[in-house]
Parts: sequence; structure tokens; C-alpha cells
Amino acid sequence: MEGPSRRLSASRDGASKLLERRGSEGDADTETSRDTRTHFRVCRFIMEIGVKLGMHSIPVATACVLYHRFFKRVCLREYEPYLVAMSCVYLAGKVEEQHIRTRDIVNVSHRYFNKGSAPLECDKEFWELRDSVVQCELLILRQLGFHVSIEHPHKYLLHFLLSVKSLVNRHAWSRTPVAETSWALLRDCYHGNMSIRHTPQHIAIATLYLALNSYGVELPVGEKEWWQVLCENVTKADIHAVISDLLKLYDMEAKCV
Amino acid sequence: MDRDLLRQCLVYHGESLFSKLKCEQTENPDFQAVVSDLGIATNERKVTEKGSSLVEQFIARKADILFSPAWRTATPQEQDHEEEEAAEPYATMPPLELFMELSFEERRSMIYRDLEKGDVVVGRINNIREYGFFLTLICMAGGLKRDIVDLELSALCHVREIPSSGSHDDPLSYYQIGDFIRAGVKDIDRYQEKITVSLQQGSLCPALKHIKLGVITQEEMPIHYSRSVRAAADSRETYECILKSCHGYQNPSVVEYLLEKVGISDRHPPSMMRGLQSKLFQEDDFASAIRKKQSASWALKCVRAGVDHFKHGRHVEAMNEYNKALEIDTSNVEALVARGALYANKGSILKAISDFELALENCPDHRNARKYLCQTLVERGKQLEEQEKLVTAEGIYRRALSLDDSNPEAKEALHNISDLIQKSIRLREEALAKEQVKPKSSQTSAEKLRKILKEEKRMKKKKKRATSSSPSSSSSRCSSSRSSSSRKRSKKKKKRRRKSERGSKRHRRISSRESRKSEEDRKEKEDEEAECYPEPPNTSATFLNQTGGLMFGGEDEVAGRDREARKGGLLNSVSAASEEDDSDSSRRETKRRDGAERRTRTDEQSRSPQGRGRSRERKLSIERGRDDYRKDSESQRRSSFEENQARKSSSSSAEVEHSRKSSFLPEYSGNSCSASKQLERRMSQDSSSRNSFDGGRYENRGKKEEEPVKREKEAGKERSEVEGHTSGWGKVNAGSQNGQSGTGPKKELPANLLEIFNQIAQFEKKKGSQAKVPK
Repeated sequence: MEGPSRRLSASRDGASKLLERRGSEGDADTETSRDTRTHFRVCRFIMEIGVKLGMHSIPVATACVLYHRFFKRVCLREYEPYLVAMSCVYLAGKVEEQHIRTRDIVNVSHRYFNKGSAPLECDKEFWELRDSVVQCELLILRQLGFHVSIEHPHKYLLHFLLSVKSLVNRHAWSRTPVAETSWALLRDCYHGNMSIRHTPQHIAIATLYLALNSYGVELPVGEKEWWQVLCENVTKADIHAVISDLLKLYDMEAKCV
Repeated sequence: MDRDLLRQCLVYHGESLFSKLKCEQTENPDFQAVVSDLGIATNERKVTEKGSSLVEQFIARKADILFSPAWRTATPQEQDHEEEEAAEPYATMPPLELFMELSFEERRSMIYRDLEKGDVVVGRINNIREYGFFLTLICMAGGLKRDIVDLELSALCHVREIPSSGSHDDPLSYYQIGDFIRAGVKDIDRYQEKITVSLQQGSLCPALKHIKLGVITQEEMPIHYSRSVRAAADSRETYECILKSCHGYQNPSVVEYLLEKVGISDRHPPSMMRGLQSKLFQEDDFASAIRKKQSASWALKCVRAGVDHFKHGRHVEAMNEYNKALEIDTSNVEALVARGALYANKGSILKAISDFELALENCPDHRNARKYLCQTLVERGKQLEEQEKLVTAEGIYRRALSLDDSNPEAKEALHNISDLIQKSIRLREEALAKEQVKPKSSQTSAEKLRKILKEEKRMKKKKKRATSSSPSSSSSRCSSSRSSSSRKRSKKKKKRRRKSERGSKRHRRISSRESRKSEEDRKEKEDEEAECYPEPPNTSATFLNQTGGLMFGGEDEVAGRDREARKGGLLNSVSAASEEDDSDSSRRETKRRDGAERRTRTDEQSRSPQGRGRSRERKLSIERGRDDYRKDSESQRRSSFEENQARKSSSSSAEVEHSRKSSFLPEYSGNSCSASKQLERRMSQDSSSRNSFDGGRYENRGKKEEEPVKREKEAGKERSEVEGHTSGWGKVNAGSQNGQSGTGPKKELPANLLEIFNQIAQFEKKKGSQAKVPK
């Protein structure tokens, strides 16, 4: 409680109670891997409240990217990551035209940190939390220089899915949940900062590649591979880089949660 | 676990995955159930690829998710609308194999493998024979999207598969070589590589039923085909370029659209992460659930504060709190009940009732809401009772009792009001009985009526000759009677006529039921009657009189019916006038007349109450004068007495029960009606003992009369002094009636009345002079 609250620039008193981080890391880890794990947890938080807030995949992805971009510029020690995450959700809702009310964000987050607790009363604490979210949003905007529009792989992936689908026998396709798996993989990759390290097309192709691979779906090969057609400059190495990043995230889940 | 899927995966990845799977999924009973079947097929192929062991590790670890039958969140919608939709909701891309430059043989074998009955193809006619025509397939138009333009696929469309427009024509004559044809695949022979197509709409699979088959133009070719033609011609047109140049790709909601199309739920998104499996999310933790709970608790807090204010008498603050609570939670039952209670306290009974009702709608078992609503309804019933709307009040009481059948207050009120209604009926009957006697002796009213009738007929004659019931002869007969009509009187007349109209309307409605069967009968009777009496202006009323006389046997029966009819009439009058279903032309006339009368009425109202004192004075004097006149011309009148009766009864056909009642006493009918009306009217103006008559009267009139009643009330207040004197009027009258009803009271009653009139007149003079002074 005392730790994060000292770091809170936007809201000193209100948010700290709510945003108390659970568990402390082992000392042996290096600082970067500890940060990565923190980010993983905070992104998990974003995704969980995203589902509870009824957000679509795109706003959730935007929130995660905003979060990662923010902490690319600033040090994790300086700011309370969960508050930043809440504000990122709020801001992402605005950016992607799926407006989320601060009240809901505060409520759901409060419930996230205090499982099974009663909803917040309409008192000082609630309003302070709410104000801190709004103020932190301004901070994020300033840090990012108001560059908040993001190109996501989602659109690519869906179009690729349709194209690849018509290459495959329809019965084989309907038996194989490639679409679900690739979508799940795409959503999961926002746990880490790979979404800001790879180009959207590459991520889309990699998730589709992994999904097809997982089910052993074989596509015909002509002069070019299917993924070469979908994106001109992608190489097998790019795809594998994305996949290995993604698979690391799954390993991290076991360690972090 | 999906065994087939797992086997497919194992065939692809080989033995190493199998061993990893066995290692990772040891605790998964599902895997143990299928593992025995899997061992056979695995060791066929070994793929050595960079990073493949990592992928295999991933598959092995996530196998329970990947191969779970429940992994499929939704079934994709198979429908392919792309041709139908002018605005493409997503980028329609050319087939991928075009860019992949698949070999001719592979593509050809793929199309024969994947093409299915019910798919839609587009081809050009290259040969027409007597048994059908041959198509060279150009592209797919639904079901499957493949690049087939250069595959030299040929398809036969048999003549049987061409829907013929006429019976005599050869269907093939409509088709020419070179036509583009959209057709459904009827059959495919994969070994002989033969395709037959059909132009019958029934050959399509259900998802593609909307596609029209037959000849198409170049413009109607599928979008993906035209794009693939361009891409094939220009190597710079890459998949990416085309994708980004498509309108559909820029569609802001393309993701939602495509998610639905491929069948992925975004509300319960899939995830490979164990912590994000949708089964772990509880509905209680969702924003909407928390918000709802929170709103309820916040609203409750406001209600509590409001109740506190209320207890300390700070009603405005309490109302503010309640309104705030309802703003937070629009359907908060407690807030609604509390606010309703406050409204009720403040006298806004209707608002209170609506609040309670809303609360009960949201929570039908809320005890306080029921209780309060019941009490408030009783309160409202009392209000209505005061406004003389007895029947509405009765309904309200009944509703209150239906909410809480043990409420003593409601029970008592209902009991009382039933009594009151009964009493008012009885009183009216008494009054009727009295009136039947009185006018015979006091000829004033009869005279008045005669005049009114005459006026009316003259008016009618002017206005409408078309009326079937309009009597042309009666006016001439009537004209023998005097015609000294002052302005004052004509006004009165109008008023009366309005009443009679209303009465007659009701008559017609009721009679219309009875009369349909005996329409002819009636006509005959009317004719007969016309010989004896002057034809009445309102046939239906006359008819009712007659049929009443014919139908009703005894007095008891009549009384019973009377009550029933009254109830019916009341209900009818409460409900809108639109219920009246008489379609005869006289109805329209009535309306017109009503309009005219309304004008006069408002005129009248605008004069009251200031002018009332004086006008009444004048009226009384006129009446006195008329009395004198009556003596002069009594004998003359005697001769035409019976005529008058009939006419009066028809013209002033007052309330249903009046005429009904009178119907079995045809002698007195006219007099009783008119006189009772007159009496009532006078009483409503002059006396405070209104209740005895007015109860029924107001009800019968319904809401129309509300305003005048109020005005009269106001006037009544002004004349409170007069009332003191005249309040005994009804009783005196009743007494006299009782005394005289026996044998032949004709001569005595007018004297009695005159006395009273004089009293009133004197008082009025006094009062008038008094009233003038302050002005």
C-alpha cells in the first residue's frame, strides 16, 4: 500500500487502496524479467476487466498497446501500473468508439482486487478513484504525444482466415476450429509487448500459421506459400519469431499467475 | 477430446508430438480415453522444422483446450451474401491460389474434390444441342471461392433443367452461344470429371437460395472474379494492395461483421490462456451486474435520506431525495413507494397512484406498495364521490379491494357507495313518480315544453328536411299554440334541447339493439301514431316508448330492467361516445346540432354566474306570468293535451330510465319527463338538496356536464344565503307530492309551487338588491 501510493502522481490517496499489488516477486530475478511479469499481470487485468466490461477485442487490444507504449517511455517504478491500465481501458474505449464509463471501470476493478466485495458506495473514495482514472488518462495522452490510433492485426487476420478457408475443403474446415484458435492466439499475444515489436500483418500470419499447424491442416503449395502471398515481405523467420514470442507468453502464464 | 482432430494433428506432427502429449496430458482423463486409438496412425511422417519442438510442446500442453469439442464457440454462418450486397461490408478478395500460382493439375483436382452439389457457378455457353447446352465455367459465384477460369471445365445443362416460361416454346431458344449463365451445380462425377448444372432454383443449397439463376450480364459477374481478372493481368496487384484498396477493408465495423461471419463470439472471447477461459468469469463480476447492484444501493441510500427528511417534515428535501434515487435507479421500488406516499400526503393522489402502480409493476408483491395503493385508491374514490362520479368511484373502490380484500375502509366505502347509488336510483324513481303527478296539475312545464317543441321543429324544418323522422305535419299543428318567445326563453330551450339530445342519443343506442329486428314494425307504428299524435321529432324515443309499453309487463320487471339499463347506460356514458354505433343519418344531424348547442352553452356559461341572479329573477317572473297565462288558456290546452304529451316525451326524451319508466304509463310520459327535467334543472341551480336527484343526473350526463356542474357549484356558493331558505324545497316538494299522489292533486300542486316560487322570487329580489350595492 505504501509503495504504490508514493508513486502515484495522479491520485495519491484514493487509488492506492484499490490498486495494492498482490504478492511480491522473488529477489533473484533480474529487473527486466520482473517488469515483464508485472506487465503480463497488468495486461491480464486489462483483459479480464475487458471481458467483464463487455469490450470488444479491438478496444482491449488498444488498451494493451497504449499500456505498453506508455511504459516503453516511462519507468515502471514511476507510476502505478494498474491505474495506468484502468485509464488505458478508458482511453481505448474512446479511441475505438466503444465508450466505457469510468464508473464501470472503477467498479469492475474494485471487484477484481477485492473478490466478492460489495459495490463501492457513492462516497469520497469512489469519486477519488474515478478522478484519478480521468487524470491519469490525460497523463497517458501527454506521454504518448496524443498518438493513440493503432493498426491492429485483427482485420488482417479475419480477411486471411476467409482467404485460407476457401483453399481448404469446406468439411475439413468446419471440423477444425482454426478461426477460434487463431483469434485466441491473437488476443493472447497482447499479454506481452510483442504487439508493439512486430508488424500487425506478421502477427496475423503467425497466429494463423500456428493455428493451422496445431491442427495439422495442410494447405496446397504453389510457387509461393500462402503466407508469402498474404504479406509480401514476411519471411519464415519473422513468423517463427512471433510464434516463439507468443509461446513464451504461455510459459509465463504458469509462472505469473 | 475430438479424436479425429487429434489424429489429424498427430499425423501431421508425428511421433514426437505423441510422446509429448502422453507426457503432458497424463492427468487428463479425456486424453487417456482416446490415447489407445491414436497410437496406430502416428508414425508415418516426421517433420523436422525449426522451432517445431516448441510448437509441439505448445500443442501438447494446450491439447485439452485445442481439441476440446466445446472450443468451437459458435457455428459460422455459411451464407454468402457478397453478390447481393452493393456495399461490400468486408474486402472481397480474389482466390488465394491465383497469387500462389498453384499448378493447373492441382487446382483442377482440388475443384473436382471440393465442388459440391448446390454450389453456384458462372459459365459461358459454348455449344447448344437439342438436349441442352454446354457451359465453359468461368468462376464460382457462391459456396466455394476458387480460381477456375483457365481450368477448361465444361458443364452440361440439360433441357429438363431449364425452367420453361411457356408450354409451347422450346426453352433452349432463349439461349445463345456466348451468353453468361449463372447456374447451380446439379451433379458432379469426380471420376469421369463431368459436371452437370441446372437453372432450376431448387438445385441450390438452402443457404444460396436467394441467388437468381439464368442469364447474367458482364456487370453481374462476381466481384472477386473481376478483381482476379485485374490481378492476373497486372502483377503489381498483390494481395495486400487489393486488400487495402477495398472499401470493405476500411469499414469501421468490419471486425464485428467478420467475427460474426466466421462465427467467433466477442462477448465470450476464446483464449489459450488458462486464466482467461470463459468459464472462469462469473456473471456477478460483470460491469452491468455490479452497476445494477450499486445503483440499487445508492438509490436506497437516497430513499433513506428522503424518509428521514420526510419524518422531520421537510417535504421538499424528501422529494428531492426520492427524485435523485429514481434518477440513479429508475425502477427503484422503494423510491417509488416513498415518493408515492409523499404525493399522497401532499394531495397529489393521481401522481401517487401512478407511482404505486409503477412500483407494483416492478415488484408485484411489495406489501407497502399494495397497502398504500389501496389506501390511496380509497382516497381517490372519495374524491370522485365528492365530484358525484359515483360509478367511477365504485370502480376505484373495487380495485382497491382487489388489491387488499381485507381493507375495512375500502369495504365500507364500497358498501356506502353501493347504497348511495341504490338510493339515488330510488330517489330518482320517487322523483319520477312525483313528477308524473305534478306536471299534470302545474301546466307551466307542459306549456314551456310545447313552446320549446315548436321552436325546435321550426329549427329543424329549416335545417334539415332530409331527416326521415323530421315531422312536417307536427309543426303546423303546433303552431296553433302561442309563440311569445323571449330571448331568455329561447336560450333555455336550447339548453333543454341539448339535454334531450343527449338523452335521445342514448335512446337510439339502446334502441338500436332492439330495433333492428323490428325496423319495419316500427315504421308502421309510426305511421299509425302520426294519425293520432303529432309526429315526434325523434322517432327512436317514440319507438322506445311504444315498445316499452308493449314489452314490459309488470312494474316490478320494469324496475329491475330499469336498474340494469341504468347501469348499462352509465357505463356507456362513461366510455367514449364512439361506442355509439347508430348509423342513421339523424346521428350526423345530432352532431351538428350539438355543435351549435355547445356554442350556446359556452355563451351561457360565460354569462354565469354574475348574471345568474338577475336572470333567474326574470325567469321566475316569466314563470309566474306563464302561470297566469295558463289559467287563461287552460281549456284550450286541455284539448291538445294528449298531443303535447307525445311530443314532449319525444323531444325531451330525457334519460333512459325516465322514458322507460314512463313507458308503461303512457298517459303521463311526456309530462313526467319534461317536468322532471325542468325540476332537476331548477333544483340544481337553486337548491342544495341536489344529491337526491343530481347523483343520477350527473352520472348520466357523464363527463360532459362536469364543467357546468362546477360552475353551478360556484354559483351555489355565491348564493349560500339563498340556499339556507330554499334547502327545504325538495322536502316540501316531496311532501306535497306524497300528499297529492293519491287521487287528484292537479289543482293543489300549482298553488304549492307558486308559493315556493314567490318565496324564492322575493328572496332573490332582496339578494339581488344586496348584491348590487357593492358593485
